Amino acid sequence: MSTLGLQKSKPGAERMFSASRVILLVLLIIAIVLPPFLSPYYLYLLTTIMMTALLAASLNFVLGYGGLLQLHHAVFFGVGAYTVALVLTKTSWPFWTAVIAAPIVAGFFALLIGWFCVRLRGLYFGMLTLALGQLVWAVVYKWRSLTGGDDGIHAIPVPDYLASPTSVYYVNLAVLVISLIILYVIVKSPFGLTLVATRDNPVRSQSVGVNIRRHQLAAFVLAGFFAGVSGVLFVLIEQSVSPSLLYWSKSAEILIMCLLGGMAVFMGPTLGAAVLVILSMVVGTYIDYWLLVLGLVLLLLVLFLPQGVLGFLQEKLSGRKTGEGGERDAAS
Amino acid sequence: MNSAALASQLLIGLSRGMLYFVVAAGLTLVFGVLRVINFAHGSLYMLGAFFSFTFATVLAQGQAGFWLALLLAPLAVALISLLIERGLLRFIYQREHLMQMLLTYSLVLIFGDLVKLIWGSQYQSLSLPGILSGSFTLGGVAIPWYNLFLLVMGPLVALGLWLFLDRTRLGKICRATATDREMVDILGVNSTWVFAAVFALGGWLAGLGGALMAPVVNISLGMDANIIIYAFLIVVVGGLGNIWGALISSLIIGVGEAMGALFMPDWAIVLPYVITGILLILRPSGLLKSVW
Amino acid sequence: MLQVEGLAKSFGGFKAVAEARLHVPKGQVAAVIGPNGAGKSTLFNLITGHLKPDAGRIVFKGKDITALAPHQVSRLGVSRSFQLLNVFPRLTVFENVQVAVLARLRQSGKMFTPARKLVVTETTEVLDKLGLTAYADRLCTSLSYGDQKVVEIAISLGSSPELLLLDEPTAGMSPEETRTIVQLIKNLSGSEGLTILLTEHDMDLVFDVAQRIMVLHQGMTIAEGRPEDVKKDKAVQNAYLGETG
Repeated sequence: MSTLGLQKSKPGAERMFSASRVILLVLLIIAIVLPPFLSPYYLYLLTTIMMTALLAASLNFVLGYGGLLQLHHAVFFGVGAYTVALVLTKTSWPFWTAVIAAPIVAGFFALLIGWFCVRLRGLYFGMLTLALGQLVWAVVYKWRSLTGGDDGIHAIPVPDYLASPTSVYYVNLAVLVISLIILYVIVKSPFGLTLVATRDNPVRSQSVGVNIRRHQLAAFVLAGFFAGVSGVLFVLIEQSVSPSLLYWSKSAEILIMCLLGGMAVFMGPTLGAAVLVILSMVVGTYIDYWLLVLGLVLLLLVLFLPQGVLGFLQEKLSGRKTGEGGERDAAS
Repeated sequence: MNSAALASQLLIGLSRGMLYFVVAAGLTLVFGVLRVINFAHGSLYMLGAFFSFTFATVLAQGQAGFWLALLLAPLAVALISLLIERGLLRFIYQREHLMQMLLTYSLVLIFGDLVKLIWGSQYQSLSLPGILSGSFTLGGVAIPWYNLFLLVMGPLVALGLWLFLDRTRLGKICRATATDREMVDILGVNSTWVFAAVFALGGWLAGLGGALMAPVVNISLGMDANIIIYAFLIVVVGGLGNIWGALISSLIIGVGEAMGALFMPDWAIVLPYVITGILLILRPSGLLKSVW
Repeated sequence: MLQVEGLAKSFGGFKAVAEARLHVPKGQVAAVIGPNGAGKSTLFNLITGHLKPDAGRIVFKGKDITALAPHQVSRLGVSRSFQLLNVFPRLTVFENVQVAVLARLRQSGKMFTPARKLVVTETTEVLDKLGLTAYADRLCTSLSYGDQKVVEIAISLGSSPELLLLDEPTAGMSPEETRTIVQLIKNLSGSEGLTILLTEHDMDLVFDVAQRIMVLHQGMTIAEGRPEDVKKDKAVQNAYLGETG
């Protein structure tokens, strides 16, 4: 992995950095004025991309910056979505309570699962996230009376002002932008810096006085919270939920997005999400074997572009060869 | 609830556990020696089942087909594994765990669609040879002969693995590699062929698991995703890389699942995860030491 | 300041440390010497809480720290550098030190202030002290080995310790780099009044900087005291100095 762009080091990097801000601003303006020119299909595509981008960015917070092998991030996404769905279909509480409750419940699940996971290192951490995550999936899948089992919950009522694709689009855009800004600020904060330090060298972080378990747990909960936010967006778009949102292959998909865009660059996962969503929708409509294509893309990425598309571009533009960072965690 | 039902369910759980063990042993062996978490292990298992279906129906009619398939399918899977290791895996041993995992995950996606391409997405099924079909009664409860067959096969595989690891040169190198990679390099062992052999053996075990499973389930797409999670749980609970740990946890999970089906059928699917969660919380690094 | 009594630690039957005792008075430079495998690094890991001892007591400033976790030990004022390079490779030199300063001032958890605006003075002070200011914005890995070892010490100083543990501070260094480190140690102990405990292979260096020496042999303390007394000690000569000259 290359550096995280945390450094205010090379002048080249700095130039590029401000250039990337300009690009982002232009993209944002385009995103704001675009909807009237789009067909519903493309509006839906863009909205889905934004919802997915937030999910990927939240995973990358723990994975890329924290170096934690979070193998089952989709759980918190699913928990967030199911919370909205359950509040709106099983209670008569107002809409906004569902929206607020979802990320908090997702964060709480992250606290619960993370509490056990941060005791472990490396692959054991990853495997426990997988096991506990699948446990949540299994419960959702089987608790038919509450969650509707494998049928899921459909026709979730959302307020009228959120019924049109355009308004959902703008809500997604606003939430994505705000969430990314918050995540970016945190990445650049002492918390973020220390998080990167615990990733690069846990032992040393401990010996300068960092409580790494607590730090990692906090990052884990934050990531879960934002995955929950993304879950809310999902319900706004689809108005339905199903257990597949929490299945482990969904988590693998998010991982691929992070890898595709570049885990060492802040906007990498966002780009990865965009590319993957477009690929799946476009390729998926023309051939039956979308997963084969995805698999081949992933294979080539791992072999030839492990720093991701944005990571690769950043290296080229800043003329800095950072190379890969070796082992993150010991296996045992 | 009478004791006969309990006993028969226990027997079924044990035989299911033995099957899990055959698959999980391959996964844990590969991890122990190569330090690679192989997501594609489930795909290899699925290939084992599909190969066994094809071999059994194409190569021979009737009884012989099953036995021939049981012999050939795992070998075919082992061959494919060898190709994977030589063609892909060996280039990424120096990389992060995450990259290695994602590479094997790409194979999951690719194999999934390839199986769909070759065999289609409908269920296939394979019938048991006469000698193994049917059941016998134990205290008034019917127990399939095939479960008994699995109960014999599991320990046989375990015994074979033990003999291999304990008595052969390659086995000893495997154990040494799992314990201390650098030491093996110092001893001058060319570890690349060890890796290739172990990965092929791991594939063989996955294929054998698939072939053994083929007659008792619907051979279908998606059987890879289900087994791989179980195999992961078993391997982690047993202690990553530890074959005997995998044996113990396979049996725990197999029996736990069977008991769950008996006492709380609605929640049987949740049980393996609950068991795993509890065991991992109690013993975070697995039941047995992660290298043996 | 630091008192170690009857410390023992085995790894599956192998006694890495058995019956280690040690006394480091305030303001002094103390050294632990002993042949390879004598248990020096294990002893350090026990003191800093990275390992838990099987028996014995570690007392720092009158407080029993035997059972504390590494970050707790660090917060009490014990900081260490490591034998092998142990920096944050993908952070700049400035950030390497800043992480330690932030942790000491309990600001690691702040989320909504940019890190580059915080604890700049404290961090710069440490960099100045060690002559690293010119490298502040460079990635740690782009520095020479010797300079990275200095960064390593700078990180430890970022914790503003009262007791500094240096594990083989000159391992792998050129004679020139070694002289820099020796001067640094003398400065830190002299003008800064820091208490230092170090392990070292280089006997000349040890007898040059240390006011107190403890000899570890097969995990046991066989001698402890002033350098001149230790030099004369029969057991030490047999076990250690005699072999290596």
